[in-house]
Amino acid sequence: MTSATIARTVWRDTRILLPFVVLIAAWWALKVGLDVSDQLLVSPPRVWDGFVYLVTHGILAEYASTSLRIIGISALISFAIGVPLGFAVGTNRYASRALEGTLRFLQGISGIAWLPLAILWFGFTHTTTLVIVIYTLIVPIVFNTMTGVRAIPENYVLALRSLGAGPVRIVTDVYLPGALPSIVVGMRLGMGYGWRALIAAEMLVRQGGLGDLIFGARSFNQIDRIMVGMVVIGVLYIVVDRLLVQPIETLTLARWGVLRR
Amino acid sequence: MQADKITVTGFRHFFKTEGGDVQATGSIDIAIRPGEFVTLVGPSGCGKTTLLKAIAGFITPTEGTILCDGKPVRGPGRDRGVVFQELAILPWRTVRRNIGHGLEIARVPKAERDRAVARLIDLMGLAGFEDRYPHELSGGMRQRVAVARTWAADPEIILMDEPFAAVDAMTRLTLQEELGRLCATTRKTVFFITHSVEEAVFLADRVLVMTKRPGTIKAVLDVPRHDAGGRDWDSFTSDPEMRAIAEQVMHLVHAERVA
Repeated sequence: MTSATIARTVWRDTRILLPFVVLIAAWWALKVGLDVSDQLLVSPPRVWDGFVYLVTHGILAEYASTSLRIIGISALISFAIGVPLGFAVGTNRYASRALEGTLRFLQGISGIAWLPLAILWFGFTHTTTLVIVIYTLIVPIVFNTMTGVRAIPENYVLALRSLGAGPVRIVTDVYLPGALPSIVVGMRLGMGYGWRALIAAEMLVRQGGLGDLIFGARSFNQIDRIMVGMVVIGVLYIVVDRLLVQPIETLTLARWGVLRR
Repeated sequence: MQADKITVTGFRHFFKTEGGDVQATGSIDIAIRPGEFVTLVGPSGCGKTTLLKAIAGFITPTEGTILCDGKPVRGPGRDRGVVFQELAILPWRTVRRNIGHGLEIARVPKAERDRAVARLIDLMGLAGFEDRYPHELSGGMRQRVAVARTWAADPEIILMDEPFAAVDAMTRLTLQEELGRLCATTRKTVFFITHSVEEAVFLADRVLVMTKRPGTIKAVLDVPRHDAGGRDWDSFTSDPEMRAIAEQVMHLVHAERVA
């Protein structure tokens, strides 16, 4: 391998990080150049120190695992409820027409807007957070599953019934494979919305999680902790999205997306 | 005398719309004998697809009765295979798995299923395409798969709704000849809908001509068959008897042109 190809490879693998480097440089320059007080903004090395402290004392692992656990549980529950619900609504012409407006209406009311009611009903507990995140996740899953099912040509179903297929066969052989790409898209959208709703809910509920970490740090002006928390929130989302959700989507779309045409 | 395979008596159908009921067909009576190939030709919107859907069991007729083998039709069933114009084979199944789908549903053992599928792949000229997906095939090849899938399930009655209408003209001629040969070797009762006069006469033992909406059966013409192995277009176009029947059907259809 020549040095030029090595350089190209390194450049290819690192260029997505370049904007972050620029951002950190700008932040540092702002801090030093304008001599911003530590009450408003701390320097990158201070945030790094804060990160090391939170990691070595196990604090970050504790808060981050709470958030990841809740998003994981929410994703499983939303999938288990949302997909069958989407099928039920999507296969019934009257139900899907009736519910389409309702689903759009609910899409408009963000999970955060349910927080006051949820806190009154379930108190400052993990239940409240779970309910908010599941609600946020489930709406796009139901909606996309429903849309996917409705986009399946009626002839697929009719042809199979003439081949002697019963309702179970119709679901496993037509509806499920036909709607799969849409279901995956709904899941990915839901994870994005759900993660944001989770952080917001944790800030109010204050029962652990990264939202709790950064909101609590505010009370003691621990700007370094706030910024560490924000970076971790962003990084964890990328990790979950790129390493878990996107590969599933790429796999199904690469295969089924072409196949459904 | 042999009992009729399909009997339609006093069939009339209305569609419910917001502006009230719309009459799709007039009163229709049809009797199709076992092993007969009957084509139904008529102008767009005359209700021919409605009639086919009722025989298939996809819709319940507003009036009248439909009997298959003397039993009233209640919903679709594997005794009546259907070939659609398009969008019927599943895009996520290979050619082989699409053709074997009916047998898979009927829980036919794999070895037996494979034999039936191999035979149809051979008959329909699909050899070499067994593991392709529908999107990798031309429109004509896709319709071959749809026909093969229906034949593989081995129903006694086959209903075909303009199966070659979306295929280019050259391929259509080949598919029509292939269908003729397939029917000559398997002897199914076929009810075939088309708006092409040539196709109707070429394939049929008997041609039914429909009036414009609300359609009724306007004429019934027998098409004599001197060719046991299935027809081909060369001898069809040079046969004066066939030309005469086609011309007769053409006149009947033209009188029903929709402005």
